Amino acid sequence: MIKIKNLKAEIDGKEILKGIDLEIQPGKVHAIMGPNGSGKSTLSYILAGREEYTVTGGDIELNGQSILDMAPEERAAKGVFLAFQYPVEIPGVQMTPFMKTALNSVRKARGLKELDAIDFLKLMKAKCKELGISDDMMKRAVNVGFSGGEKKRNEVLQMAMLEPKFCVLDETDSGLDIDALKIVADGVNKMRGGDKSFLVITHYQRLLDYIKPDVVHVLAGGKIVKTGGPELAHELEKTGYANVA
Amino acid sequence: MLPDVPSPKLERWKYTNLERALKKLNLMPAALGWGSDVKLLNPHAPGEAQYKDTQLWDLNTSHTKDIKFITSDEIIEISAKDGQWLSPRLVIHVKDGQTVTVIERQNGQGGYWKNGVAQIIVGKNAKLRHYRIIDEAEGAVSTQFIHVKIDRDGSYEGYNHIEGAGLIRNQVHAELNGENGNFSIAGLNLLRGEQHADTTITIEHKAPHCNSNQTYKSVLDGKSRCVFQGKVHVHQIAQKTDGYQLSNALILSPQAEMDTKPELEIYADDVKCSHGATTGKLDEEPLFYMRARGIPEKEARSLLITSFCAQAVDTITDEGMQTHITEKLAQWLASRT
Repeated sequence: MIKIKNLKAEIDGKEILKGIDLEIQPGKVHAIMGPNGSGKSTLSYILAGREEYTVTGGDIELNGQSILDMAPEERAAKGVFLAFQYPVEIPGVQMTPFMKTALNSVRKARGLKELDAIDFLKLMKAKCKELGISDDMMKRAVNVGFSGGEKKRNEVLQMAMLEPKFCVLDETDSGLDIDALKIVADGVNKMRGGDKSFLVITHYQRLLDYIKPDVVHVLAGGKIVKTGGPELAHELEKTGYANVA
Repeated sequence: MLPDVPSPKLERWKYTNLERALKKLNLMPAALGWGSDVKLLNPHAPGEAQYKDTQLWDLNTSHTKDIKFITSDEIIEISAKDGQWLSPRLVIHVKDGQTVTVIERQNGQGGYWKNGVAQIIVGKNAKLRHYRIIDEAEGAVSTQFIHVKIDRDGSYEGYNHIEGAGLIRNQVHAELNGENGNFSIAGLNLLRGEQHADTTITIEHKAPHCNSNQTYKSVLDGKSRCVFQGKVHVHQIAQKTDGYQLSNALILSPQAEMDTKPELEIYADDVKCSHGATTGKLDEEPLFYMRARGIPEKEARSLLITSFCAQAVDTITDEGMQTHITEKLAQWLASRT
Protein backbone atom coordinates (compact mmCIF):
# COMPACT_ATOMS: atom_id res chain seq x y z
CA MET A 1 0.00 0.00 0.00
CA ILE A 2 1.22 3.49 -0.87
CA LYS A 3 0.42 6.46 1.31
CA ILE A 4 1.22 10.03 0.34
CA LYS A 5 0.74 12.42 3.24
CA ASN A 6 0.52 16.20 2.84
CA LEU A 7 3.39 16.11 0.32
CA LYS A 8 4.93 19.48 -0.50
CA ALA A 9 7.79 19.99 -2.93
CA GLU A 10 9.63 22.67 -4.82
CA ILE A 11 12.23 23.10 -7.52
CA ASP A 12 14.52 26.13 -7.76
CA GLY A 13 12.58 27.77 -4.93
CA LYS A 14 9.26 27.44 -6.72
CA GLU A 15 6.59 25.48 -4.90
CA ILE A 16 5.00 22.90 -7.20
CA LEU A 17 3.24 20.47 -4.88
CA LYS A 18 1.21 22.17 -2.17
CA GLY A 19 0.08 19.33 0.07
CA ILE A 20 -0.97 16.12 -1.63
CA ASP A 21 -2.80 13.35 0.20
CA LEU A 22 -3.31 10.05 -1.54
CA GLU A 23 -3.70 6.44 -0.47
CA ILE A 24 -3.72 3.50 -2.84
CA GLN A 25 -4.68 0.07 -1.55
CA PRO A 26 -2.95 -3.06 -2.91
CA GLY A 27 -4.48 -4.20 -6.20
CA LYS A 28 -6.08 -0.83 -6.94
CA VAL A 29 -5.59 1.49 -9.90
CA HIS A 30 -5.85 5.21 -9.28
CA ALA A 31 -5.68 7.83 -11.99
CA ILE A 32 -4.49 11.38 -11.62
CA MET A 33 -5.75 13.77 -14.25
CA GLY A 34 -4.91 17.40 -14.53
CA PRO A 35 -4.08 20.26 -16.83
CA ASN A 36 -0.53 21.06 -17.94
CA GLY A 37 1.56 22.56 -15.17
CA SER A 38 -0.58 21.15 -12.39
CA GLY A 39 2.37 19.18 -10.95
CA LYS A 40 1.63 15.73 -12.43
CA SER A 41 5.12 14.99 -13.72
CA THR A 42 6.72 16.52 -10.64
CA LEU A 43 4.76 14.08 -8.50
CA SER A 44 5.93 11.11 -10.56
CA TYR A 45 9.58 12.21 -10.40
CA ILE A 46 9.40 12.76 -6.66
CA LEU A 47 7.90 9.32 -6.13
CA ALA A 48 10.85 7.81 -8.07
CA GLY A 49 13.40 9.86 -6.12
CA ARG A 50 14.67 12.44 -8.57
CA GLU A 51 17.17 14.61 -6.69
CA GLU A 52 16.50 17.96 -8.41
CA TYR A 53 13.28 18.35 -6.43
CA THR A 54 13.23 19.30 -2.78
CA VAL A 55 10.53 17.81 -0.60
CA THR A 56 9.62 20.54 1.89
CA GLY A 57 6.97 18.70 3.84
CA GLY A 58 4.92 15.55 4.26
CA ASP A 59 5.87 11.94 3.64
CA ILE A 60 5.62 9.02 1.23
CA GLU A 61 5.17 5.57 2.75
CA LEU A 62 5.34 2.25 0.96
CA ASN A 63 3.91 -0.57 3.10
CA GLY A 64 4.37 1.47 6.24
CA GLN A 65 7.96 2.52 5.54
CA SER A 66 8.97 6.05 4.54
CA ILE A 67 10.85 6.10 1.24
CA LEU A 68 11.67 9.83 1.24
CA ASP A 69 15.30 9.37 2.27
CA MET A 70 15.91 6.52 -0.14
CA ALA A 71 17.98 6.82 -3.32
CA PRO A 72 16.15 6.01 -6.58
CA GLU A 73 17.78 2.55 -6.76
CA GLU A 74 16.71 1.72 -3.18
CA ARG A 75 13.14 2.70 -4.02
CA ALA A 76 13.26 0.49 -7.09
CA ALA A 77 14.44 -2.39 -4.93
CA LYS A 78 11.57 -1.72 -2.51
CA GLY A 79 9.16 -1.97 -5.42
CA VAL A 80 8.62 1.53 -6.81
CA PHE A 81 8.52 1.65 -10.61
CA LEU A 82 8.17 4.75 -12.77
CA ALA A 83 7.22 4.29 -16.41
CA PHE A 84 8.72 7.43 -17.94
CA GLN A 85 6.78 9.84 -20.11
CA TYR A 86 9.93 10.19 -22.20
CA PRO A 87 12.04 7.02 -21.81
CA VAL A 88 15.71 7.97 -22.02
CA GLU A 89 17.93 6.85 -24.89
CA ILE A 90 21.26 5.42 -23.73
CA PRO A 91 23.56 4.95 -26.73
CA GLY A 92 26.16 2.22 -26.30
CA VAL A 93 24.36 0.41 -23.47
CA GLN A 94 22.62 -2.67 -24.83
CA MET A 95 19.16 -3.67 -23.59
CA THR A 96 20.12 -7.17 -22.43
CA PRO A 97 23.02 -6.23 -20.09
CA PHE A 98 21.04 -3.18 -18.93
CA MET A 99 18.00 -5.28 -18.04
CA LYS A 100 20.09 -8.04 -16.49
CA THR A 101 22.03 -5.56 -14.33
CA ALA A 102 18.77 -3.90 -13.24
CA LEU A 103 17.02 -7.17 -12.43
CA ASN A 104 19.96 -8.63 -10.54
CA SER A 105 20.45 -5.38 -8.63
CA VAL A 106 16.88 -5.44 -7.32
CA ARG A 107 17.02 -9.21 -6.71
CA LYS A 108 20.19 -8.79 -4.69
CA ALA A 109 18.64 -5.97 -2.66
CA ARG A 110 15.56 -8.12 -2.06
CA GLY A 111 17.70 -10.99 -0.81
CA LEU A 112 17.00 -13.18 -3.85
CA LYS A 113 19.52 -15.19 -5.84
CA GLU A 114 20.91 -13.35 -8.87
CA LEU A 115 20.03 -14.92 -12.22
CA ASP A 116 22.70 -16.29 -14.53
CA ALA A 117 22.67 -15.49 -18.23
CA ILE A 118 20.59 -18.51 -19.20
CA ASP A 119 17.89 -18.10 -16.57
CA PHE A 120 17.74 -14.40 -17.32
CA LEU A 121 17.19 -14.95 -21.05
CA LYS A 122 14.51 -17.55 -20.33
CA LEU A 123 12.64 -15.16 -18.07
CA MET A 124 12.95 -12.30 -20.52
CA LYS A 125 11.69 -14.36 -23.44
CA ALA A 126 8.75 -15.55 -21.38
CA LYS A 127 7.84 -11.99 -20.38
CA CYS A 128 8.17 -10.72 -23.97
CA LYS A 129 5.88 -13.51 -25.13
CA GLU A 130 3.34 -12.87 -22.38
CA LEU A 131 3.18 -9.17 -23.29
CA GLY A 132 3.24 -9.68 -27.07
CA ILE A 133 6.56 -7.85 -27.42
CA SER A 134 9.17 -8.89 -29.96
CA ASP A 135 12.42 -9.78 -28.22
CA ASP A 136 14.40 -8.16 -31.08
CA MET A 137 14.21 -5.06 -28.92
CA MET A 138 16.59 -6.69 -26.45
CA LYS A 139 19.38 -6.75 -29.02
CA ARG A 140 19.44 -2.96 -29.37
CA ALA A 141 20.83 -0.09 -27.32
CA VAL A 142 18.42 1.12 -24.63
CA ASN A 143 15.62 3.07 -26.35
CA VAL A 144 17.96 4.20 -29.16
CA GLY A 145 16.07 4.46 -32.42
CA PHE A 146 12.93 3.02 -30.80
CA SER A 147 9.60 4.34 -32.10
CA GLY A 148 7.28 6.03 -29.61
CA GLY A 149 5.32 2.78 -29.27
CA GLU A 150 8.43 0.66 -28.81
CA LYS A 151 9.70 2.94 -26.06
CA LYS A 152 6.47 2.60 -24.09
CA ARG A 153 6.32 -1.16 -24.65
CA ASN A 154 9.86 -1.30 -23.35
CA GLU A 155 8.71 0.47 -20.19
CA VAL A 156 5.95 -2.10 -19.71
CA LEU A 157 8.42 -4.94 -20.28
CA GLN A 158 10.79 -3.51 -17.67
CA MET A 159 7.86 -3.16 -15.30
CA ALA A 160 6.98 -6.82 -15.77
CA MET A 161 10.58 -7.93 -15.29
CA LEU A 162 11.25 -5.97 -12.10
CA GLU A 163 8.04 -7.06 -10.32
CA PRO A 164 7.28 -3.80 -8.56
CA LYS A 165 4.71 -3.22 -5.82
CA PHE A 166 3.79 0.30 -6.85
CA CYS A 167 3.80 1.46 -10.47
CA VAL A 168 3.57 5.04 -11.64
CA LEU A 169 2.71 5.54 -15.29
CA ASP A 170 3.58 9.07 -16.30
CA GLU A 171 1.60 10.18 -19.37
CA THR A 172 2.07 6.77 -20.90
CA ASP A 173 -0.39 7.68 -23.65
CA SER A 174 1.61 10.63 -24.96
CA GLY A 175 2.89 10.02 -28.46
CA LEU A 176 1.02 6.75 -28.93
CA ASP A 177 -1.42 5.78 -31.64
CA ILE A 178 -4.42 3.62 -30.70
CA ASP A 179 -2.76 0.30 -31.60
CA ALA A 180 0.31 1.01 -29.51
CA LEU A 181 -1.89 2.29 -26.71
CA LYS A 182 -3.83 -0.99 -26.67
CA ILE A 183 -0.67 -3.10 -26.42
CA VAL A 184 0.62 -0.99 -23.56
CA ALA A 185 -2.77 -1.03 -21.78
CA ASP A 186 -3.06 -4.81 -22.23
CA GLY A 187 0.35 -5.19 -20.62
CA VAL A 188 -0.67 -3.13 -17.64
CA ASN A 189 -4.00 -4.92 -17.32
CA LYS A 190 -2.22 -8.30 -17.24
CA MET A 191 -0.24 -7.10 -14.24
CA ARG A 192 -3.23 -5.74 -12.38
CA GLY A 193 -4.64 -7.41 -9.35
CA GLY A 194 -2.59 -9.18 -6.76
CA ASP A 195 -0.89 -6.77 -4.41
CA LYS A 196 0.33 -4.24 -7.00
CA SER A 197 -0.88 -0.65 -6.80
CA PHE A 198 -0.97 1.59 -9.86
CA LEU A 199 -0.97 5.32 -10.28
CA VAL A 200 -1.83 6.34 -13.84
CA ILE A 201 -1.03 9.95 -14.62
CA THR A 202 -2.65 11.38 -17.71
CA HIS A 203 -3.92 14.52 -19.31
CA TYR A 204 -6.57 12.80 -21.42
CA GLN A 205 -9.37 10.44 -20.59
CA ARG A 206 -8.53 8.27 -23.63
CA LEU A 207 -6.00 6.08 -21.81
CA LEU A 208 -8.56 5.39 -19.06
CA ASP A 209 -10.85 3.71 -21.59
CA TYR A 210 -8.21 0.99 -21.81
CA ILE A 211 -6.85 1.00 -18.27
CA LYS A 212 -10.00 1.31 -16.19
CA PRO A 213 -9.20 3.07 -12.91
CA ASP A 214 -10.88 2.36 -9.58
CA VAL A 215 -10.49 5.95 -8.43
CA VAL A 216 -9.89 9.21 -10.32
CA HIS A 217 -8.27 12.29 -8.80
CA VAL A 218 -7.99 15.72 -10.31
CA LEU A 219 -4.74 17.57 -9.69
CA ALA A 220 -4.71 21.32 -10.16
CA GLY A 221 -2.35 23.97 -8.84
CA GLY A 222 -0.31 21.41 -6.91
CA LYS A 223 -3.28 20.01 -4.97
CA ILE A 224 -5.87 17.29 -5.43
CA VAL A 225 -9.07 19.25 -5.96
CA LYS A 226 -11.53 16.47 -6.69
CA THR A 227 -11.79 12.71 -6.23
CA GLY A 228 -14.37 10.35 -7.68
CA GLY A 229 -15.05 7.14 -9.59
CA PRO A 230 -14.26 6.41 -13.27
CA GLU A 231 -17.20 8.60 -14.30
CA LEU A 232 -15.20 11.65 -13.20
CA ALA A 233 -12.84 11.12 -16.14
CA HIS A 234 -15.73 11.26 -18.60
CA GLU A 235 -17.12 14.33 -16.94
CA LEU A 236 -13.77 16.08 -17.33
CA GLU A 237 -13.59 15.08 -20.98
CA LYS A 238 -16.87 16.95 -21.55
CA THR A 239 -16.42 19.99 -19.38
CA GLY A 240 -12.63 20.44 -19.39
CA TYR A 241 -10.47 21.36 -16.43
CA ALA A 242 -11.71 24.93 -16.17
CA ASN A 243 -14.58 24.01 -13.87
CA VAL A 244 -12.53 22.07 -11.34
CA ALA A 245 -9.27 23.97 -11.23
CA MET B 1 72.14 16.84 -14.20
CA LEU B 2 69.06 17.42 -16.28
CA PRO B 3 69.35 17.88 -20.02
CA ASP B 4 67.55 20.66 -21.87
CA VAL B 5 63.97 19.69 -22.57
CA PRO B 6 61.20 21.45 -24.52
CA SER B 7 59.58 24.24 -22.53
CA PRO B 8 55.92 25.36 -22.50
CA LYS B 9 57.04 28.42 -24.45
CA LEU B 10 56.99 26.20 -27.52
CA GLU B 11 53.56 26.12 -29.15
CA ARG B 12 53.47 22.30 -29.28
CA TRP B 13 54.36 22.12 -25.58
CA LYS B 14 52.02 24.84 -24.40
CA TYR B 15 50.02 22.64 -22.02
CA THR B 16 52.77 20.36 -20.70
CA ASN B 17 55.57 21.43 -18.43
CA LEU B 18 58.13 18.65 -18.69
CA GLU B 19 60.93 20.45 -16.96
CA ARG B 20 58.91 21.05 -13.81
CA ALA B 21 57.97 17.36 -13.61
CA LEU B 22 61.55 16.18 -14.17
CA LYS B 23 62.92 18.50 -11.49
CA LYS B 24 61.03 16.55 -8.86
CA LEU B 25 62.95 13.40 -9.75
CA ASN B 26 66.41 12.26 -8.82
CA LEU B 27 67.66 10.56 -11.99
CA MET B 28 70.65 8.64 -13.26
CA PRO B 29 71.07 7.39 -16.85
CA ALA B 30 70.31 3.67 -16.89
CA ALA B 31 69.79 0.80 -19.32
CA LEU B 32 67.51 -2.19 -19.75
CA GLY B 33 70.31 -4.37 -21.06
CA TRP B 34 69.00 -4.76 -24.61
CA GLY B 35 72.34 -3.58 -26.02
CA SER B 36 73.01 -0.91 -28.60
CA ASP B 37 75.84 -2.30 -30.72
CA VAL B 38 73.89 -1.64 -33.87
CA LYS B 39 74.01 1.35 -36.11
CA LEU B 40 70.76 3.26 -36.46
CA LEU B 41 70.04 3.83 -40.12
CA ASN B 42 67.92 6.91 -39.49
CA PRO B 43 69.04 8.40 -36.24
CA HIS B 44 67.41 11.74 -36.90
CA ALA B 45 63.81 12.68 -36.40
CA PRO B 46 61.99 12.79 -39.70
CA GLY B 47 59.05 14.86 -40.85
CA GLU B 48 58.46 18.26 -42.35
CA ALA B 49 60.63 21.00 -40.97
CA GLN B 50 57.71 22.70 -39.24
CA TYR B 51 57.08 19.62 -37.10
CA LYS B 52 60.67 19.04 -36.20
CA ASP B 53 59.95 18.96 -32.52
CA THR B 54 63.07 16.85 -32.19
CA GLN B 55 64.74 17.68 -28.93
CA LEU B 56 63.59 14.55 -27.13
CA TRP B 57 64.19 12.34 -30.16
CA ASP B 58 67.78 13.58 -30.41
CA LEU B 59 68.22 13.12 -26.69
CA ASN B 60 67.11 9.52 -27.07
CA THR B 61 69.53 9.04 -29.99
CA SER B 62 72.49 10.35 -28.01
CA HIS B 63 71.67 8.41 -24.85
CA THR B 64 70.15 5.15 -25.94
CA LYS B 65 71.81 1.97 -24.73
CA ASP B 66 68.76 -0.13 -25.55
CA ILE B 67 67.83 -0.73 -29.16
CA LYS B 68 65.47 -3.44 -30.28
CA PHE B 69 64.70 -4.45 -33.86
CA ILE B 70 61.34 -6.02 -34.46
CA THR B 71 60.24 -7.64 -37.71
CA SER B 72 57.67 -10.17 -36.48
CA ASP B 73 55.01 -10.60 -33.76
CA GLU B 74 56.37 -9.59 -30.42
CA ILE B 75 55.36 -8.64 -26.89
CA ILE B 76 57.74 -6.15 -25.29
CA GLU B 77 57.67 -5.13 -21.68
CA ILE B 78 59.54 -2.02 -20.68
CA SER B 79 59.78 -1.77 -16.90
CA ALA B 80 61.65 0.97 -15.10
CA LYS B 81 62.96 1.18 -11.56
CA ASP B 82 63.10 4.08 -9.17
CA GLY B 83 65.64 6.74 -10.15
CA GLN B 84 66.26 5.43 -13.67
CA TRP B 85 66.47 7.58 -16.78
CA LEU B 86 65.87 5.16 -19.62
CA SER B 87 66.15 5.83 -23.34
CA PRO B 88 64.74 2.76 -25.06
CA ARG B 89 64.53 2.66 -28.84
CA LEU B 90 62.28 0.38 -30.86
CA VAL B 91 62.74 -0.08 -34.57
CA ILE B 92 59.78 -1.91 -36.07
CA HIS B 93 59.94 -2.90 -39.71
CA VAL B 94 57.03 -4.69 -41.28
CA LYS B 95 58.26 -5.99 -44.61
CA ASP B 96 56.19 -5.80 -47.80
CA GLY B 97 53.09 -7.96 -47.67
CA GLN B 98 53.49 -9.03 -44.05
CA THR B 99 51.16 -8.63 -41.07
CA VAL B 100 52.70 -8.11 -37.66
CA THR B 101 51.27 -7.50 -34.19
CA VAL B 102 53.41 -5.74 -31.61
CA ILE B 103 52.20 -5.39 -28.04
CA GLU B 104 54.04 -2.93 -25.89
CA ARG B 105 53.62 -2.84 -22.12
CA GLN B 106 55.07 0.10 -20.28
CA ASN B 107 55.26 0.09 -16.51
CA GLY B 108 57.62 0.58 -13.58
CA GLN B 109 58.06 1.47 -9.95
CA GLY B 110 58.89 4.68 -8.15
CA GLY B 111 60.08 7.91 -9.74
CA TYR B 112 61.76 7.51 -13.14
CA TRP B 113 61.88 8.96 -16.61
CA LYS B 114 61.43 7.01 -19.80
CA ASN B 115 62.32 8.89 -22.92
CA GLY B 116 61.36 6.38 -25.56
CA VAL B 117 61.42 6.43 -29.35
CA ALA B 118 59.78 4.02 -31.75
CA GLN B 119 60.71 4.18 -35.43
CA ILE B 120 58.23 2.28 -37.52
CA ILE B 121 58.21 1.37 -41.18
CA VAL B 122 55.16 -0.31 -42.70
CA GLY B 123 56.04 -1.71 -46.12
CA LYS B 124 53.96 -2.06 -49.25
CA ASN B 125 50.73 -3.90 -48.62
CA ALA B 126 51.90 -4.64 -45.08
CA LYS B 127 50.00 -4.25 -41.84
CA LEU B 128 51.08 -3.44 -38.32
CA ARG B 129 48.89 -3.75 -35.27
CA HIS B 130 50.56 -1.77 -32.54
CA TYR B 131 48.91 -2.06 -29.14
CA ARG B 132 50.45 -0.06 -26.33
CA ILE B 133 49.40 -0.44 -22.72
CA ILE B 134 50.93 2.34 -20.73
CA ASP B 135 50.49 1.87 -17.03
CA GLU B 136 53.42 3.74 -15.54
CA ALA B 137 53.97 4.47 -11.85
CA GLU B 138 52.33 7.53 -10.35
CA GLY B 139 55.67 9.19 -9.72
CA ALA B 140 56.97 8.56 -13.22
CA VAL B 141 57.53 10.78 -16.22
CA SER B 142 57.16 9.19 -19.62
CA THR B 143 57.89 10.86 -22.93
CA GLN B 144 57.20 8.74 -25.96
CA PHE B 145 57.89 9.62 -29.57
CA ILE B 146 56.55 7.38 -32.28
CA HIS B 147 57.25 7.89 -35.92
CA VAL B 148 55.46 5.82 -38.54
CA LYS B 149 56.13 5.70 -42.27
CA ILE B 150 53.54 3.92 -44.35
CA ASP B 151 54.16 2.77 -47.90
CA ARG B 152 51.67 2.05 -50.70
CA ASP B 153 48.66 -0.06 -49.54
CA GLY B 154 50.21 -0.29 -46.09
CA SER B 155 48.17 -0.07 -42.95
CA TYR B 156 48.89 0.88 -39.33
CA GLU B 157 46.42 0.17 -36.56
CA GLY B 158 47.46 1.75 -33.29
CA TYR B 159 45.79 1.63 -29.90
CA ASN B 160 47.16 3.50 -26.90
CA HIS B 161 45.81 2.62 -23.49
CA ILE B 162 47.03 5.20 -21.03
CA GLU B 163 46.40 4.84 -17.29
CA GLY B 164 49.59 6.51 -16.06
CA ALA B 165 52.18 8.03 -15.41
CA GLY B 166 52.36 11.14 -13.28
CA LEU B 167 53.14 12.93 -16.49
CA ILE B 168 53.09 11.46 -19.95
CA ARG B 169 53.65 12.95 -23.36
CA ASN B 170 52.69 10.58 -26.13
CA GLN B 171 53.81 12.09 -29.38
CA VAL B 172 52.97 10.42 -32.66
CA HIS B 173 54.02 11.45 -36.13
CA ALA B 174 52.78 9.52 -39.14
CA GLU B 175 53.61 9.89 -42.80
CA LEU B 176 51.44 8.32 -45.46
CA ASN B 177 53.94 8.09 -48.29
CA GLY B 178 52.24 5.83 -50.85
CA GLU B 179 48.76 5.56 -52.37
CA ASN B 180 45.99 3.74 -50.46
CA GLY B 181 47.82 3.88 -47.18
CA ASN B 182 45.84 3.73 -43.99
CA PHE B 183 46.71 5.14 -40.59
CA SER B 184 44.34 4.54 -37.73
CA ILE B 185 45.06 5.43 -34.14
CA ALA B 186 42.78 5.17 -31.14
CA GLY B 187 43.22 5.47 -27.44
CA LEU B 188 41.83 5.81 -23.99
CA ASN B 189 43.17 8.17 -21.38
CA LEU B 190 41.99 7.04 -17.94
CA LEU B 191 43.26 9.62 -15.50
CA ARG B 192 42.86 10.36 -11.82
CA GLY B 193 44.68 12.09 -8.98
CA GLU B 194 47.07 14.67 -10.35
CA GLN B 195 47.98 12.78 -13.49
CA HIS B 196 48.80 14.66 -16.66
CA ALA B 197 48.55 13.02 -20.07
CA ASP B 198 49.39 14.76 -23.32
CA THR B 199 48.67 13.16 -26.67
CA THR B 200 50.10 15.06 -29.62
CA ILE B 201 49.50 13.55 -33.03
CA THR B 202 50.62 14.78 -36.43
CA ILE B 203 49.55 12.97 -39.56
CA GLU B 204 51.00 13.94 -42.90
CA HIS B 205 49.17 12.85 -46.02
CA LYS B 206 51.88 12.82 -48.69
CA ALA B 207 50.18 10.64 -51.30
CA PRO B 208 46.70 10.46 -52.84
CA HIS B 209 43.90 8.11 -51.74
CA CYS B 210 45.02 7.61 -48.16
CA ASN B 211 42.88 7.41 -45.03
CA SER B 212 43.64 8.49 -41.52
CA ASN B 213 41.52 8.10 -38.45
CA GLN B 214 41.96 9.23 -34.85
CA THR B 215 39.52 8.07 -32.18
CA TYR B 216 40.33 9.27 -28.68
CA LYS B 217 38.28 9.03 -25.50
CA SER B 218 39.44 10.54 -22.25
CA VAL B 219 37.96 10.04 -18.80
CA LEU B 220 39.19 12.51 -16.21
CA ASP B 221 38.75 12.20 -12.48
CA GLY B 222 40.28 14.04 -9.53
CA LYS B 223 42.59 16.90 -10.46
CA SER B 224 43.88 15.23 -13.59
CA ARG B 225 44.65 17.09 -16.76
CA CYS B 226 44.51 15.79 -20.30
CA VAL B 227 45.81 17.34 -23.49
CA PHE B 228 44.87 16.29 -27.00
CA GLN B 229 46.52 17.98 -29.94
CA GLY B 230 45.75 16.35 -33.25
CA LYS B 231 46.90 17.68 -36.57
CA VAL B 232 46.18 16.45 -40.06
CA HIS B 233 48.41 17.95 -42.73
CA VAL B 234 47.31 17.21 -46.29
CA HIS B 235 50.02 17.96 -48.84
CA GLN B 236 49.09 19.30 -52.25
CA ILE B 237 49.66 15.98 -53.96
CA ALA B 238 47.40 14.08 -51.55
CA GLN B 239 44.10 14.31 -53.43
CA LYS B 240 41.20 12.11 -52.30
CA THR B 241 42.46 12.10 -48.74
CA ASP B 242 39.95 10.95 -46.14
CA GLY B 243 40.88 12.16 -42.68
CA TYR B 244 38.87 12.06 -39.51
CA GLN B 245 39.69 13.03 -35.97
CA LEU B 246 37.58 12.53 -32.88
CA SER B 247 38.40 13.53 -29.33
CA ASN B 248 35.73 13.14 -26.66
CA ALA B 249 36.42 13.87 -23.03
CA LEU B 250 34.34 13.04 -20.01
CA ILE B 251 34.99 15.12 -16.93
CA LEU B 252 34.03 13.34 -13.71
CA SER B 253 35.33 15.95 -11.30
CA PRO B 254 35.07 19.74 -11.30
CA GLN B 255 38.82 20.03 -10.77
CA ALA B 256 39.84 18.03 -13.84
CA GLU B 257 40.85 19.82 -17.01
CA MET B 258 40.85 18.98 -20.70
CA ASP B 259 42.68 20.92 -23.37
CA THR B 260 41.86 19.99 -26.93
CA LYS B 261 43.43 21.45 -30.04
CA PRO B 262 42.29 19.93 -33.31
CA GLU B 263 44.02 21.25 -36.41
CA LEU B 264 43.59 20.68 -40.10
CA GLU B 265 46.08 22.00 -42.62
CA ILE B 266 44.99 21.25 -46.15
CA TYR B 267 46.76 22.09 -49.41
CA ALA B 268 44.88 19.75 -51.74
CA ASP B 269 41.46 20.66 -53.11
CA ASP B 270 39.69 17.31 -53.38
CA VAL B 271 39.75 15.90 -49.86
CA LYS B 272 37.39 14.89 -47.09
CA CYS B 273 38.64 15.95 -43.68
CA SER B 274 36.79 16.65 -40.49
CA HIS B 275 37.13 16.62 -36.77
CA GLY B 276 34.91 16.45 -33.74
CA ALA B 277 35.87 17.44 -30.23
CA THR B 278 33.67 17.44 -27.16
CA THR B 279 34.24 17.86 -23.44
CA GLY B 280 31.38 17.23 -21.05
CA LYS B 281 30.04 15.69 -17.91
CA LEU B 282 28.08 12.48 -17.53
CA ASP B 283 24.51 13.02 -18.61
CA GLU B 284 22.12 13.09 -15.62
CA GLU B 285 19.06 11.82 -17.54
CA PRO B 286 20.36 8.31 -18.35
CA LEU B 287 21.85 8.12 -14.88
CA PHE B 288 18.47 8.73 -13.22
CA TYR B 289 16.76 6.36 -15.64
CA MET B 290 19.13 3.54 -14.75
CA ARG B 291 18.89 4.21 -11.02
CA ALA B 292 15.10 4.26 -11.24
CA ARG B 293 15.44 0.72 -12.61
CA GLY B 294 17.37 -0.33 -9.53
CA ILE B 295 20.95 -0.04 -10.82
CA PRO B 296 23.16 1.42 -8.06
CA GLU B 297 24.67 4.79 -8.88
CA LYS B 298 28.27 3.63 -9.14
CA GLU B 299 27.36 0.79 -11.45
CA ALA B 300 25.17 3.08 -13.56
CA ARG B 301 28.09 5.49 -13.92
CA SER B 302 30.41 2.63 -14.87
CA LEU B 303 28.01 1.41 -17.54
CA LEU B 304 27.76 4.90 -19.01
CA ILE B 305 31.55 5.40 -18.95
CA THR B 306 32.10 2.01 -20.56
CA SER B 307 29.73 2.90 -23.36
CA PHE B 308 31.47 6.27 -23.74
CA CYS B 309 34.78 4.46 -24.27
CA ALA B 310 33.41 1.76 -26.58
CA GLN B 311 34.07 3.59 -29.83
CA ALA B 312 37.83 3.64 -29.15
CA VAL B 313 37.97 0.07 -27.81
CA ASP B 314 35.98 -1.19 -30.81
CA THR B 315 38.74 -0.11 -33.21
CA ILE B 316 40.94 -2.95 -31.88
CA THR B 317 40.68 -5.71 -34.49
CA ASP B 318 42.43 -8.35 -32.40
CA GLU B 319 39.67 -10.01 -30.40
CA GLY B 320 41.86 -11.12 -27.50
CA MET B 321 43.31 -7.65 -27.11
CA GLN B 322 39.87 -6.06 -27.25
CA THR B 323 38.69 -8.34 -24.43
CA HIS B 324 41.82 -7.55 -22.44
CA ILE B 325 41.29 -3.79 -22.81
CA THR B 326 37.60 -4.12 -21.87
CA GLU B 327 38.74 -5.88 -18.68
CA LYS B 328 41.37 -3.23 -17.97
CA LEU B 329 38.69 -0.56 -18.27
CA ALA B 330 36.34 -2.46 -15.95
CA GLN B 331 39.14 -2.78 -13.37
CA TRP B 332 39.89 0.92 -13.58
CA LEU B 333 36.21 1.74 -13.08
CA ALA B 334 35.87 -0.69 -10.18
CA SER B 335 38.81 0.93 -8.41
CA ARG B 336 37.16 4.36 -8.53
CA THR B 337 36.10 5.56 -5.12
